[in-house]
Amino acid sequence: MRTTFAIMKKELVSYLTTPWAWVVFTVTSFLSSLFFIGLLVSFKQFHDEVHQSPNGWADVPASLHVFRNLTDGVVVNLWQTMLVLTLFVAPFLSMRLFAEERRNKTFELLMTTPVRPIEIVLGKYLGALGIVICTIGVTIVFPIILSMIGSSQSGDTLEWRTVMMGYGALLLWGATNMAIGMFISSMTESQMVAALVSFAVALAWMLLKMTASGLDEPFRSILNYLSFDQQLSSLLKGVLDVKPLVFFGSVIALFLLLTHRSIEAQRWTQ
Amino acid sequence: MIEVERLTKKYRDRVAIDELNFTIGEGEIVGFLGPNGAGKSTTMKILTGFMPPTSGKAKVAGFDLFEQPIEAKKRIGYLPETPPLYPELTVRGYLKYVCELKGVPRAKVKSEIQRVAEGTGIVSELDRLTGVLSKGYRQRVGIAQAMLGAPPLLILDEPTEGLDPRQRKEVLDLIKSLGGKHTVVLSTHILAEVKAICRKVLIIHRGKIVADESMASLTGGKETGLEDKFIALTSE
Ligand SMILES: Nc1ncnc2c1ncn2[C@@H]1O[C@H](COP(=O)(O)OP(=O)(O)OP(=O)(O)O)[C@@H](O)[C@H]1O
Ligand SMILES: [Mg+2]
Repeated sequence: MRTTFAIMKKELVSYLTTPWAWVVFTVTSFLSSLFFIGLLVSFKQFHDEVHQSPNGWADVPASLHVFRNLTDGVVVNLWQTMLVLTLFVAPFLSMRLFAEERRNKTFELLMTTPVRPIEIVLGKYLGALGIVICTIGVTIVFPIILSMIGSSQSGDTLEWRTVMMGYGALLLWGATNMAIGMFISSMTESQMVAALVSFAVALAWMLLKMTASGLDEPFRSILNYLSFDQQLSSLLKGVLDVKPLVFFGSVIALFLLLTHRSIEAQRWTQ
Repeated sequence: MIEVERLTKKYRDRVAIDELNFTIGEGEIVGFLGPNGAGKSTTMKILTGFMPPTSGKAKVAGFDLFEQPIEAKKRIGYLPETPPLYPELTVRGYLKYVCELKGVPRAKVKSEIQRVAEGTGIVSELDRLTGVLSKGYRQRVGIAQAMLGAPPLLILDEPTEGLDPRQRKEVLDLIKSLGGKHTVVLSTHILAEVKAICRKVLIIHRGKIVADESMASLTGGKETGLEDKFIALTSE
């Protein structure tokens, strides 16, 4: 327990003392601010148009009614964009986890001190989790800003339940990406390779749904089930659902286990 | 302290060490010699539990390295060929981290760091980043790290590599002073160092032990005995 915690702390210190994490953090904050502003502007334009038309919302097709309120019109859309951004950001955060230990030859230190490999894996993952939560987690400021300056004709400005479910979905997706990235990082000495492969894997996962639509049953249902937006869709709509928690929880556990296997196996195949 | 039985390691089809057999008693300081590529580092990596052998057995303090690795590793301090440093940590932060990995009791961490820092002469560098240290100081931090927690067995892969003559002597004196209480296995290419501090010598050549004797019997008391023997045993 103490060693797991020590490794986690060391990971956080390493992240924060290298410029890399700060660059990723800044870029993420910058891009998400752009998305947020973009979404706000189109939200406003849409509302202006609706107000100018004689029949108001009655003329608007049902599919665009999500733009009636800030929660669905802005925040949920922001979460959806952030899911894609996470795909690009997470590999840069996870790539150094094990690859750097190999490069520095510190892997030898970790493997010759009385530390269990599982403690190494957990410690590193917890540190990585802290960093990814900080990086994509800052986006919670946007709904907070909205709730302070926004207004609504009926009820609360934001539907916090939906906002928080979507936020949870985003963090869950980030946590999953870090677990995959950590496994890939444990297999190579090169951080560049680790980042690229992690990105490719996450991207392929993201494209799963598109592939699925071109397939016959039962493959279509299987791929649809495995596609992450399918899994996250109910959370994003604000429906509390344990299925995605179980699904992503299992994916994370699987990749932690694979990482454990991978660092054990490498000692045998030196 | 160390018992090795028919230890073999193959890297794919390259045999790095071939059926090694030897034992090392408690409190001994052993010089582990051999030409480049003889298999010294490989043997040390196996003895510290970093990698498993292809076949054969190794025990440290009675614990099999691959059946009870945690118990064995608790008793070993290891300096690898390249000092394992994190460039972004300060020397103090690094030593503290290693203490935590080794399970040094929290209350003792500070005094342990002070003790090894004094022993290796790095007190003045404690608050610098390990990434900016000179090669010799990196090596010293590597030795300091191995000594944390006062493990009964120290395995040092070329500990004096990159040190200046004065520091070289200090490190040797330090290792010598550990004798009796600690068991030390060190590899080096400098025979004079071995002569100065080791009472036992292991010579390995092409993965096989070619000498396993006390210093006195190997040199036969002659001044150049060790050089002559080393060259004779590791020719062809
Ligand atoms: N990771 C590896 N993969 C393949 N072969 C290796 C590997 N590590 C070492 N070897 C080979 O094993 C043999 C023994 O190497 P080792 O590093 O143990 O030698 P050494 O005695 O420490 O040499 P030196 O005095 O140069 O440090 C060498 O032939 C080396 O090429
Ligand atoms: Mg070597």
